[in-house]
Amino acid sequence: MVLLKVAADPTISFAVQFAVGSQNDPPGKEGLAFLAGEMLADAGTEANSLEMILEKLYPLAAAYDVRVDRERTTLTGRAHRDNVDAFLELFADALARPGFEQSDFERVQADAINDLENTLRYSSDEELGKAALEEFVFRGTRYAHPSEGTVQGLRSIALDDVRKFYREHFTAQAALVGVGGGFDDAIVAKLRAAVARLPRGAAPTPPAISPAPIRGRELLIIDKPGADASISAGFPLNAHRGERDYYALWIANSWLGEHRNQASHLFNVIREQRGLNYGDYSYIEPFPNGGSHNMPPVNVPRRYPLFEIWVRTLPNKHAQFALRAALREVAKLVDNGMTREQFELTRAFLKKYSLHFAETTSARLGYAVDDRFFGLDSEGHLTRFRRMMDELTLEDVNAAIKRHLRYQDLKIAIVTGDAAGLRKALVADTPSPMEYDTPKADAILEEDKKIAIFPLRIPGDRVSTIPVGSAFEK
Amino acid sequence: MNGNRIIPYPSSTRTLANGLEVIVMPMPSEGLVAFWSIVRTGSRDEYEAGRSGFAHFFEHMMFRGTERYPSDVYARTLTSLGADGNAYTTDDHTAYHISMAAEDLERVVELEADRFQHLSYAEPAFQTEAGAVYGEYRKNRTEPEFALYEALMDKAFEKHPYGHTTIGYERDIAAMPTMYGYSREFFARYYRPENTVLFFVGAVDPERVFALVERQYGGWQRGYVAPRIPAEPEQLAARRVDVAYDGQTLPIVQVAYKVPAFDPADRTRVAADLLAELAFGETSDAYRRLVLDEQVVELLDAGADASRDPGLLDITTRVKDPHKVDYVLDAIDATIAEYRAAPPAADRLAALQRRLKYGFLMGLQTPEAVASGLAQFIALSGGLDSVDTLYATYAAITPADVQTAAQSYLSAQRRTVGVLRAR
Repeated sequence: MVLLKVAADPTISFAVQFAVGSQNDPPGKEGLAFLAGEMLADAGTEANSLEMILEKLYPLAAAYDVRVDRERTTLTGRAHRDNVDAFLELFADALARPGFEQSDFERVQADAINDLENTLRYSSDEELGKAALEEFVFRGTRYAHPSEGTVQGLRSIALDDVRKFYREHFTAQAALVGVGGGFDDAIVAKLRAAVARLPRGAAPTPPAISPAPIRGRELLIIDKPGADASISAGFPLNAHRGERDYYALWIANSWLGEHRNQASHLFNVIREQRGLNYGDYSYIEPFPNGGSHNMPPVNVPRRYPLFEIWVRTLPNKHAQFALRAALREVAKLVDNGMTREQFELTRAFLKKYSLHFAETTSARLGYAVDDRFFGLDSEGHLTRFRRMMDELTLEDVNAAIKRHLRYQDLKIAIVTGDAAGLRKALVADTPSPMEYDTPKADAILEEDKKIAIFPLRIPGDRVSTIPVGSAFEK
Repeated sequence: MNGNRIIPYPSSTRTLANGLEVIVMPMPSEGLVAFWSIVRTGSRDEYEAGRSGFAHFFEHMMFRGTERYPSDVYARTLTSLGADGNAYTTDDHTAYHISMAAEDLERVVELEADRFQHLSYAEPAFQTEAGAVYGEYRKNRTEPEFALYEALMDKAFEKHPYGHTTIGYERDIAAMPTMYGYSREFFARYYRPENTVLFFVGAVDPERVFALVERQYGGWQRGYVAPRIPAEPEQLAARRVDVAYDGQTLPIVQVAYKVPAFDPADRTRVAADLLAELAFGETSDAYRRLVLDEQVVELLDAGADASRDPGLLDITTRVKDPHKVDYVLDAIDATIAEYRAAPPAADRLAALQRRLKYGFLMGLQTPEAVASGLAQFIALSGGLDSVDTLYATYAAITPADVQTAAQSYLSAQRRTVGVLRAR
């Protein structure tokens, strides 16, 4: 149990994290963990229909929600202390006495299918590109499909599958319970009692995730007529919270591509100096829905994170140039390392910027729960993060870059409305001289000449194109 | 300060001789401070032809530096402080916000004061930034919700600038690189002390902040030129717009009614906020029928804009079966007819009033969250009193007020319907 007492906080935050995620979806039933999670958080219980739950939660202005990720499923909620007893009763029921009604199931299943068929495929090319990259990198493993599942996987699931999955995997032994804020012992006792009512049984064994090694550059094009270009590229990273190299990589990555921050070097090169798009970032941990969040999310801990660069939507005619510009910056970082000045600036930035990662009790609770996943029992990630910013040296960071980052062997996913043209240009590796409608400084134009001929070296037989309508189908 | 205030933290307000208003609200915050600069100019002020999207574009330009602190120095300084800063633009205001450790406040205020008074950028930087704005438009336009909203606003407003979205018409965005001269004028007209409010929340001492602001902003010259915003003529007939979307989507339906401008003391206008929620919120009959029982829609949401000029109350839904769009529109109409015919149940209204109170209190988690929640009201009314008034009015609304709001605003001639379908 994770207890995070914040006496001054008039609200109480809850988190129950199960050691089960979309990686445990049986083959052919991709989406089962997701639907199980939804049947807890967005459906009725034995005691109340969803309609009654909504009615009871309504005056409390309280809610609970679920996040299903590859490795973990986390049910979270928060209520004001004036309302916590009424809230906890509903939360405990959602956890341990789900109703599994057929009509609720049909609704959450239809919503999930729509989410893939319409929203992910058609309404945000950026999220589509990122999900396509994950599928491409982890193809053939239980990490490949989106946490929501696949269209055919979701369609093949019946309510009985969900019941069985819950009984087998959402067990007391698989649950980690967290409470934060202005709670008292009675609250903790009630939550413990709810967890004791969960099914019995061991947590599922995490499947082996062994993605095919990446040799050279490989490209997946998502052919979406009418679309501008959205680019993601990356490879699996073997560095995790708690490890010294991970914090060293954090410094390097923050300099290269801090999420939605003008400190990001990629942002400066592609957006600030050249105005090609809205933003350009890089990651060493999952950051779902990055377009709507500034700070890293909680409850998405993974054994196999990606190093990932994200070039936001830009005109198709600039896609080759932008990809070259981004890979060239990664190459410079890998080949040359960081300078002392970059290192000192980024370290100072992160020491304070990390204060914003978890400003609320619920975010701190999320970090504390995730710490258990990474085996960080004595010193949590956020505390260690700040200590590491003091301890790490430039040499540590540059050695970690050499050990973990690369720019030759990686996979690239591009959503584009010019699939044929872009494929041809990328495979031919033709120069992509940049032309601007507006004047640019000489230094930029000089650098553009180098970017325009940066070798992409993507062999034709390593390029595949799929129509957007078939993405995440099965 | 009395016990009727919804905001649990006391605040102090001071207005400098040049008209700059400063509001300081200390709250427990583990050493963090949120510093918000709220300019009471937004896309509402884009009344001139060809200038749509300019307020938002100008927000981008505010990061392009001054002679003293060029953009890279500004960015590097904020980076070295580990501050979390950003900006956004709405119909009615533009906000620049920075969350930082209290010890860095003085330095950050100096930087902000400098750019608000001495912004200076060359034409090439201006033109480059226009490309970034175009990129922002490109990423938005794949969202069907955005496509429908853009068309609906255009249909609902004939004269008033609310008719274009904050990011602007694409043709105007494409022409932005040519508007350098206008950008200087925009800055001179609107970025003035009497059109700006500074808001500090968290680990701050009001007197020290006032002294700091006086030092850094005291020399900022007045000169605000009020925009000549045309009034929207009264709508006399129902309107409809159908949008064909280049992609795959469930049909999206939006039904919007004209409502008066934000006025926290006007019971009927405030009751419209509650009306939207009672009629179409999660515990409404319409939600139960359409979302839970019949499952014909995937989403049902409604709300009234709090806007400086008359705006919209809108109901949005995503229909699962394309053949049932009219069925859903009829169900929305039937709900509206019910609320016009009879007041809502008193216990449902009471539950909503309690929800509003706790929703507000639960949002007060961090200085940044507090400032973010209150900035809109500061922009609308110039201060925080409107928030207390609004919540007092919420608490006083009766079922009859809700019915009056329905009868006053939800009439056929005030409405615009938008329907988006895959092409």
